[in-house]
Amino acid sequence: MQFELKTRQVCLFFIAFMPLSKLFIMPSIMSGYANEDAWLCATLNLLLDFVTLLFVLRAIRNTKMNVYRLLERTIGKTFAKCVLFLYLIYFTLKNLLPLNEQKEYVMRTLYTLTPTLLYFLPFFFVAFYFCTKNLRVIGRTADVLWLVTAIGIIILFCLSFSNIELSALLPIGANGAFSVLKGSCASLTWFGDAVYLLFFMGEFKFNKGDEKKIILSFIVSAVAIICFVIVFYTVFQSIAFRQKFALTEISKYSTVINNIGRFDYIGIMMVLFSNLFGLSIPLFFSCKILNYVFSIKKKWISPLIITSLHALIIMLFYKRVFSIEQFIMNYTGIFFFIMANVLPIIICLTAKKEDKNAIKES
Amino acid sequence: MQSKKAKIILLIVFAISVFFFSSDFGLIDVEKTAIITAIAVDKDNNDYEVTAQIAVPEATDTNSENLKTQITGKASTIGGAIKNLGDFSGWFPKLAFCNLILIGENLTDDNVIDVLDYFAKSLRVQDSALVAMTEGKAGELISKATPLDNISAFALQKIMLKNIGFDADIASTDIKTFCQGHYSINGSAFMPIVKDVKSSEDNPQSNSGGQSSGGSGSSNQSGGSSKKEDNNNLFDARTTALFLNGKKVGELSPELTQTYNALFSAFEGTTFPVDNVTFNGQNTNYLLSVVDCMPKVKLHATENDLTLKIQLNMYCKVSDHSASGSSEALSQNMPIPDRVKEKAEQFFAKNIEELVMTEKQTGCDFMDIKQKLYRFNHKQYSRYKDNYLSVLKTDISVSVYGQK
Repeated sequence: MQFELKTRQVCLFFIAFMPLSKLFIMPSIMSGYANEDAWLCATLNLLLDFVTLLFVLRAIRNTKMNVYRLLERTIGKTFAKCVLFLYLIYFTLKNLLPLNEQKEYVMRTLYTLTPTLLYFLPFFFVAFYFCTKNLRVIGRTADVLWLVTAIGIIILFCLSFSNIELSALLPIGANGAFSVLKGSCASLTWFGDAVYLLFFMGEFKFNKGDEKKIILSFIVSAVAIICFVIVFYTVFQSIAFRQKFALTEISKYSTVINNIGRFDYIGIMMVLFSNLFGLSIPLFFSCKILNYVFSIKKKWISPLIITSLHALIIMLFYKRVFSIEQFIMNYTGIFFFIMANVLPIIICLTAKKEDKNAIKES
Repeated sequence: MQSKKAKIILLIVFAISVFFFSSDFGLIDVEKTAIITAIAVDKDNNDYEVTAQIAVPEATDTNSENLKTQITGKASTIGGAIKNLGDFSGWFPKLAFCNLILIGENLTDDNVIDVLDYFAKSLRVQDSALVAMTEGKAGELISKATPLDNISAFALQKIMLKNIGFDADIASTDIKTFCQGHYSINGSAFMPIVKDVKSSEDNPQSNSGGQSSGGSGSSNQSGGSSKKEDNNNLFDARTTALFLNGKKVGELSPELTQTYNALFSAFEGTTFPVDNVTFNGQNTNYLLSVVDCMPKVKLHATENDLTLKIQLNMYCKVSDHSASGSSEALSQNMPIPDRVKEKAEQFFAKNIEELVMTEKQTGCDFMDIKQKLYRFNHKQYSRYKDNYLSVLKTDISVSVYGQK
């Protein structure tokens, strides 16, 4: 059987793409809810994803089917299409804020004057091309981009170290569990990365010991995310909630930057470049789902529909970004929790049962 | 078929390029750009008066001095006043290079955060820009000519922004640090006060209290070389203004500012004088240089008392002294005499006590005692949060030592 991905690529996928969307406005949103406990919000969400990841790994160990076939076998083709259509909505909503963050970030920090909206159009061309390919394209980009992401984040970390004051995290938990839960719920849109593994299911050869490698790569990314939130809060402390774009902010107070200039933009550009592909991944899966749900055979139809849809949303809500942010953070938390954590666990549990039944039947 | 595909790809590449270049990479016509190097904010009745010092870019292939100009805009908000600058001049006010914000004295009776909030929130200004208060009108101070640089903002930045190894005699702060202090649980922040010092006059601050730092000496030397009559302004920023909830509540003298820096910022390389040490009936003046500074400021809270324990250990060397004719004077690593150490210790111990006293009198918690209570003694926070300054006890120990 020919597999689209390799275990190595799945591991590198988590390192290359998992931290990216969380480096823009998410740390500031969390700080707004939980102040010095912002890192607890991130940890809680990552723990949720970690539990989901463990269930998905169990399912991968037990079955060689991919998620489409698994759902078909469990609940029938029609219901499988319904469930997957929900994932199409999930990916669209999940990508909305990160996409807008990248757009806003580029516009506000890299351009002196407000550019026309067309400046972000090339992204959709890249995304269209990306979506016309098969799953192998994700593996190959992960192979290349993990290093770019890692170097970018390391540069930003190194430049921020002189300004961090770790005592700002004390006392731990003083804001109360409710604040942490609220911050955690509002930021669910940036998490849910274990869902990707669900869609990689059955697409790579799963050998003995691969489980540990995938868990390790997830943990490395999770630690990088928690560290980033910690660094961000300890640099800004009481005004962390006002600093919208964490990516630019954390490194610029270093003495080296004052003396030499903003060479931290090298790291920032690396992160932005990786994110270009990171943002294309939800679009990619949306296309595959659309192909499946409506039995579309031509490679270019779904990418055209999905990228146009995203471009349209971005353009239509160009001046109402704040309203979208508020809507997604305040009203979609439960939806994200169900789609990213509850439903994958249920799917994986049924996979186990199905597999046992299959063994009995055989 | 192959060539048709290639043509389509070429067309797409061309189309993408058009989009990429559609905004000229956001470049602005240099002739229409006003690169603002500093902003001075004053209050005129109910309006904000914003004076921008602008470096005017000029295409030239010859070496020439920085050209500058100043424009003032007025409006009821800071943003509005900056907008007016562009409206009146036809220049696009580019604030990315604005590294200095001066606040006029008349604004410090109101809440200065009303002014700084605009700069903190706006992505157009870097919040690493230095903030200082001026004696008198900020707009007037910024327009004064100085022999240090044609653009006075650059001269002020040289004075306020010193790297580690230089004298730490200014409590410099930036937008981020000021707002961080203001929005913290103690609502306290500080910024240096910039004073205009005529190079022909003696520096009044350096003479008060009988202590003068090495920094002022070097400033006066620079000023002495100036020959132009209208170009003889120097700036002194060694006094610090203290703010509580955005309002100015007190000041730290240059000596107290230096001691504050010894406790809370990098102090290595700083020099301080120890004058009038008597040896065999003869007065000798010393200048000590700090090689290593190890401060510890800890708060101990129990049910019964609240004690601020301050330890300051400084390894120093003799940088200069006024004794002549001794063989010791020739030595590079001259040991510090015990009497000099004692006097230096007394000097810092007295200043630390004064710092605590100032904190109690003004209510401005510039030493972050409340934060220490919240972070490290959280169990006692509710007990002391309202009266921590009145019940605070101090335990101060200063040790100055050097090569034996």
